[in-house]
Amino acid sequence: MSSPTATRRPFLGLDEKKRFMLALIAPAVFALVFFQIVPIFTGANASFRDWALHDPKRTWVGLKNYLYVLRDPEFLFVVLPNTFGFMAASVGCSLGLGLALALLLNRKFRGRWLVQTVILLPLMVAPVIAAIMIRWMFNDQFGIVNVVLDLFGLAPVAWLTQRWTAFLAILITDVWLWTPWFTLLLLAGLQSLPPEPFEAAQIDAATPWRVFRHITLPMLRPVMVVCIVIRSIDAFRTFDIVWTISGGGPARATEVFSIYAYVEAFQFLNFGRGSAAAVIGAFIIVFFAMGLYRILNRWVEVSK
Amino acid sequence: MTTASLPAPAPRRAPGFFEALAPGGRRMLFLLAMVAVCLLFAFPVLWLGLTSLRPGYAVFYVHRGTDFTLENFHEVLGQQVVLKAMWNSFAISTLATILSLGVTVTSGYMLSRFKGPIPNTWFSLIYVFRCVPYVSWVLPLYFVTRALGIFDTYWGLLLPHVAVHVCFFSWIMKGFFDGIDPSMEYAAMIDGCSRWGAFWRVAMPAAIPGLTALAILCWLYTWNEFLFALILTAHETPILTVVMAQFVHELGMEWHLMSATAVLSLGPALLVTVFGQKYVIRGLKV
Repeated sequence: MSSPTATRRPFLGLDEKKRFMLALIAPAVFALVFFQIVPIFTGANASFRDWALHDPKRTWVGLKNYLYVLRDPEFLFVVLPNTFGFMAASVGCSLGLGLALALLLNRKFRGRWLVQTVILLPLMVAPVIAAIMIRWMFNDQFGIVNVVLDLFGLAPVAWLTQRWTAFLAILITDVWLWTPWFTLLLLAGLQSLPPEPFEAAQIDAATPWRVFRHITLPMLRPVMVVCIVIRSIDAFRTFDIVWTISGGGPARATEVFSIYAYVEAFQFLNFGRGSAAAVIGAFIIVFFAMGLYRILNRWVEVSK
Repeated sequence: MTTASLPAPAPRRAPGFFEALAPGGRRMLFLLAMVAVCLLFAFPVLWLGLTSLRPGYAVFYVHRGTDFTLENFHEVLGQQVVLKAMWNSFAISTLATILSLGVTVTSGYMLSRFKGPIPNTWFSLIYVFRCVPYVSWVLPLYFVTRALGIFDTYWGLLLPHVAVHVCFFSWIMKGFFDGIDPSMEYAAMIDGCSRWGAFWRVAMPAAIPGLTALAILCWLYTWNEFLFALILTAHETPILTVVMAQFVHELGMEWHLMSATAVLSLGPALLVTVFGQKYVIRGLKV
């Protein structure tokens, strides 16, 4: 765009176009700075201090909190594996299921709108409510899951009192919540693919599997990359479903990173330590996200 | 099976083993898969609804017996804290939607229409801060809102919510404006319209469908949000999701009341799913 009004006097040495650009983003910048960037720095400041109830002076302690968190076996051997395991399992399962569903829905059939309405439902349900439903269904004494197991003559399982079964319940909730999101995005991707390669494949009598493997999948990759990156970042910071289903228990065995930081800060009331954990987590995910984006991006370019 | 009378789908290849075994079987299989999918995704919600209709004494055996009652809803709606939480959640969601969209629509427009160092910097900032886990800034926000004297008030939850939405929504808004041809805006500017005029009178009306979609989603996100509400509010401003989660931990046994509360709070989600479907699907596309 050329500047149509060059006669206005410059403001801070900026021309009219730049001033317009800055004015457009000013409110968003304001919200971002005051309610995200300032708190992040407050938290970073707190992470270097002994910010706990027993020390009202908030003594500067340097890296003590960081060293504590990085040496805490709970953080290293439970929280980090849980967080990344959960991320990988959740994204992997929802991507696979979402893709399968998208392929099934990518055709015209009667009752399609009904299926689409039903799979839209989990996207609208609050994660807290989904977690409550799962908690109720997996209740060890009265839950429907154990009733069904009983029907098949299997022994009831105390789902939420063991680490791996509780983890499974959390994972099921997350997959239930997010598979529809993958389905919708991948379905939109499928519908926007050009028809020519598929027609060519049909003329060559390619099997459905080979069409999927060599045409659909490569052409869907850009959409899949965006989905995987966004969902991985979100899965890393999962809080509400873990908190509602297991509360990080039994015995902190299902704690993920967000729960760890929250518990350190608000239950053990050691705010400095919670902040240090939060800062460490933020660094991990920002670098992870950038690396993931780069790797997947390269993968897309190679496949072109 | 009565599939013998159904016309088999036009074979594109030589019929495989499966088609030879059961003509039309693929369609049957497809139908079964669809029914299974619907059941899987709807079951938890249906089960919750069923639980909420059971009287307190029968709630532990939802699958047995046929006593149904609306008493749970009556009891829940009689609780002051639930009513208050519903009203607060409603007010916060509505205000947050208005504020967030107002703030991000201009930001998205800017990202879509301009190139150069300023949009690039803004875009990378947004990308980086979108990755920062919520917990990393919601913990200190507790102290920031306390210092500002807005902890446990509407503002104390509203402004952080707007900040949450800034990054993601600017990104989506950029997508909406990318899909709108800018030549009309150039034409308007040649005809003497200012930049603001071109944005407000030409680009905005074209972006209304996208804005509607995002408004619905933003409202639901805020209505469903939990972590910020948990940390940034206390007794003065109860929020529905927090109240429900407390039900689980404190009155762990009262599943019928909990389900009734959950069903009530699902109301808007159900309405949107049924009536706002086409908008929502548009808004979800990144």
